[in-house]
Amino acid sequence: MAKSASKPVIELTDLKKRFGIGDAEHYALDGVDLTVNKGEFIAIMGPSGCGKTTLLNIIGLLDRPTDGEYLLDGESVEDLRGGQASRIRAGRIGFIFQSFNLIERLNVLENVALPLTYSGLPHMKRIQRASDVLKSFHLQEREYYMPWQLSGGQTQRVAIARALVNNPSIILADEPTGNLDSKSSHIIMEELSEIHKRGNTILMVTHNPNLTTYATRVITMLDGKIDTDTAEPREAALKVSTKRPLGKSAKTKKKPSKRKGKKS
Amino acid sequence: MRILLSDHYRTARQSLDRARLRTLLTVTGVAIGVASITTILALAGGVNKIIDKQVADLGHSIAVIRPHTNEPTLADLSNPSPSNAYSTSPLVERDVKTVLDMPETDQAAPLMTLSGSVRTKYVTPKRSTIVATTPALESVNHLTLSDGQFIDSVTKQNTAVLGTQLSIDLFGTEQSVGQTFLIRGQSYTVIGVLKRENKPINYNNIDFDYAAVISLTSGKLFNGGVAQIQQINVKAKNGTDMRAFSHKIDQALQKNHDGQKDSEVVTDSAIAKPTSNLFRWVSSVMTAVAGISLIVGGVGIMNIMLVGVSERTREIGLRKAVGASNLTIVSQFLIESLIISALGGLLGFISGYLVAFFISLVIPYDPTFTWSIVGWAALLSLGVGIVFGLYPAFRASRKDPIESLRRYH
Repeated sequence: MAKSASKPVIELTDLKKRFGIGDAEHYALDGVDLTVNKGEFIAIMGPSGCGKTTLLNIIGLLDRPTDGEYLLDGESVEDLRGGQASRIRAGRIGFIFQSFNLIERLNVLENVALPLTYSGLPHMKRIQRASDVLKSFHLQEREYYMPWQLSGGQTQRVAIARALVNNPSIILADEPTGNLDSKSSHIIMEELSEIHKRGNTILMVTHNPNLTTYATRVITMLDGKIDTDTAEPREAALKVSTKRPLGKSAKTKKKPSKRKGKKS
Repeated sequence: MRILLSDHYRTARQSLDRARLRTLLTVTGVAIGVASITTILALAGGVNKIIDKQVADLGHSIAVIRPHTNEPTLADLSNPSPSNAYSTSPLVERDVKTVLDMPETDQAAPLMTLSGSVRTKYVTPKRSTIVATTPALESVNHLTLSDGQFIDSVTKQNTAVLGTQLSIDLFGTEQSVGQTFLIRGQSYTVIGVLKRENKPINYNNIDFDYAAVISLTSGKLFNGGVAQIQQINVKAKNGTDMRAFSHKIDQALQKNHDGQKDSEVVTDSAIAKPTSNLFRWVSSVMTAVAGISLIVGGVGIMNIMLVGVSERTREIGLRKAVGASNLTIVSQFLIESLIISALGGLLGFISGYLVAFFISLVIPYDPTFTWSIVGWAALLSLGVGIVFGLYPAFRASRKDPIESLRRYH
C-alpha cells in the first residue's frame, strides 16, 4: 500500500476554537495538535460535543480557529480571504456528509460535477470528468437518475464520487455512514478504503467503532482535546501499541475502542 | 473572479422551472409595471409625433395669435372653476385688421368657435364644432375640399362647409352639398364638404372633421354682433423674419388693447406645444402610477427571492462547501432575479404595446415605436431586477455553510 509518510498534508498546532462569550464561553477545541500525512486514512472517534465536527469544519476551511496554527499542504491558511478559502475548497478538499447533501433538482451526473463548476472547468469537461468518476464507482448506469430515485447507499456513493471529482488533497467525511444500515455502511467503507488505496488522504468522523477497522489510524477526542492517537509520532513509544494497524487494510480486525482512556 | 454566467443561467432556469407558478406570478408583477410604462411612453410619443409632423408641415411662415393665459398650477387641477375658465377672449376683429394691414402679412384667418347645437330635423350628432372664420382660412390652414366650395366673400349668409364626419353624422353621406341643417335653430345650406383630415390633435384645437365652418359675419350674429376670436392664424410673406414679425404683431396688439399684454404670438415649434397643461399633468401622474406598479413588481421579486433563498439554504451551504465563493452565490441569485425581471420586461413591453394599440382605437392618435422606449423598458426591468434582487442575493451569500448544512438533519 502506498502511503509514504513523507509529506504532511495537514499540520495543526495548538488549535483552539472558542464558542460563546462571557459566561457561555467554552472551547470546542482546546489545543489540538495533529499532523496528517499524505495517504493516511484517519478515523476520529469521540462522544458527542467533543469537537470532532468543529475540527473537521476548520480543516475544511468552513470555519476558522480562534487560536493556533493550521498549515494545509505546508501553507498557512490564517490570512486567507473568503474568496481564496473557497478556491481551496473547490480544488483541494472533498466533503462527504452524513446526510449526503445532493441537490434534489440536479441529476446524479450534475451533482457529481458540481464542485468542478467552481474550479472553472468548461461544462463539457466537467460532465466528462464526473462521468469518469462515476464509472469507477460502477454507477455509470445511474448517471441520469435523480437523487430521490437512489437508495441511501447509492446516494452516499454518489456523494463520495462528488468529493473525489476534483482530485482533492484530502477528503473529509463527517459520519458518512450515519444514515445508513450496516450493510450499506460496509459497502461505503469498502468504497472509502478503496479510494484510500488509490492514494487519497481521508479524515473521517464516526461514532461506529466497527468502522475504525478500515482506517490506518484512529484518533479519539475528548473535551476538545485529542485523547488517544494510534500514531502519535512524537510519543510513539508511549502510545503506540503493537497492534498498530499501519499498513493494514480492511481485512485485519481489531478493537480500537479498548485503547482508550490514557492521557494526552 | 469567475462569474460563471452560463452556469448561473442554467441553475437559475432549473430552479425557476421548478417553481413555475410562483415564477410566473412574479413575472406578471413586473410585466404589469413595465407594460404601463410602455403604454404611457408609446402613447405620449404618439402625441409628440403628430405635433412634430404638423410643425414640419406648417413650414416657417405661420404665426399664431392666442389669448394669453396664465400657466395653470397644480391647484387649478383640483379647482373646478379656475379664474380664467369663463373669461372671454380679448381678441377681436380689429386685431385681425391690424395684422392684415401689416406689410409682412400674406394672409390672416381668425378662428371663432361657437357653442350650440348642429342638427337636422331628424338627427343631432353627438359631436360637432361651429367655427366662424374668413375665406383666408382655406389657404392658411391648407384645407382641401372633397366637394363643393369653401366659404368666400360672395357666398350668402346662411351657408356652411361641413367636415366629412359631421356630414356623415348629419346626412349619412359625404355628398351633402345642397342639403340644409340647423345651427342654433337657424337653417343653413351646405355648400362644401372638407376632405377628411384625421388630425384630431392640432394647433387649432379644432377637429375639422367634425366642424361646421360658417362665415365670420354669420358667427357674429350668434354672438350679439361681436366677433370673439379664440385664435388668429397668420401667414407671413416668404422670407419674413418670423421673430421680428411676431414681436411686431405683439406690440401692435398691445397698443390695440390699451397696453395690456393679454395675447401672445407663437411661431414654429411653440405653436405645437400642447395648449393645455392638463395634458402634461395627467401624463406625469400616469407615469408616477406606472412607476409605483413597477416598484410593487420589484417587491414581488424580492419576496419570492427571499423565499427561494431560505428554501435553498442547504443547497447554498453545500455549494459553499464545495467551493462557491460569496461572490458566486451573489451572482447566482442575482441572475435568477434578473431572469425574472427580464422576462417581466419582455412580457410587459409586448403587452404594453398591445394595450397601447387597444387604447388607440378609442383615442385619436396611434402609439409610436422608438428605440428609446425599448431602452426604457429594458433599463427599468433590469434595474428592478438588480435593485430588488441584491438584498436576497446578499442574504444568500452571507449564509454560514456549517449552519446551512446542519439545518435539515
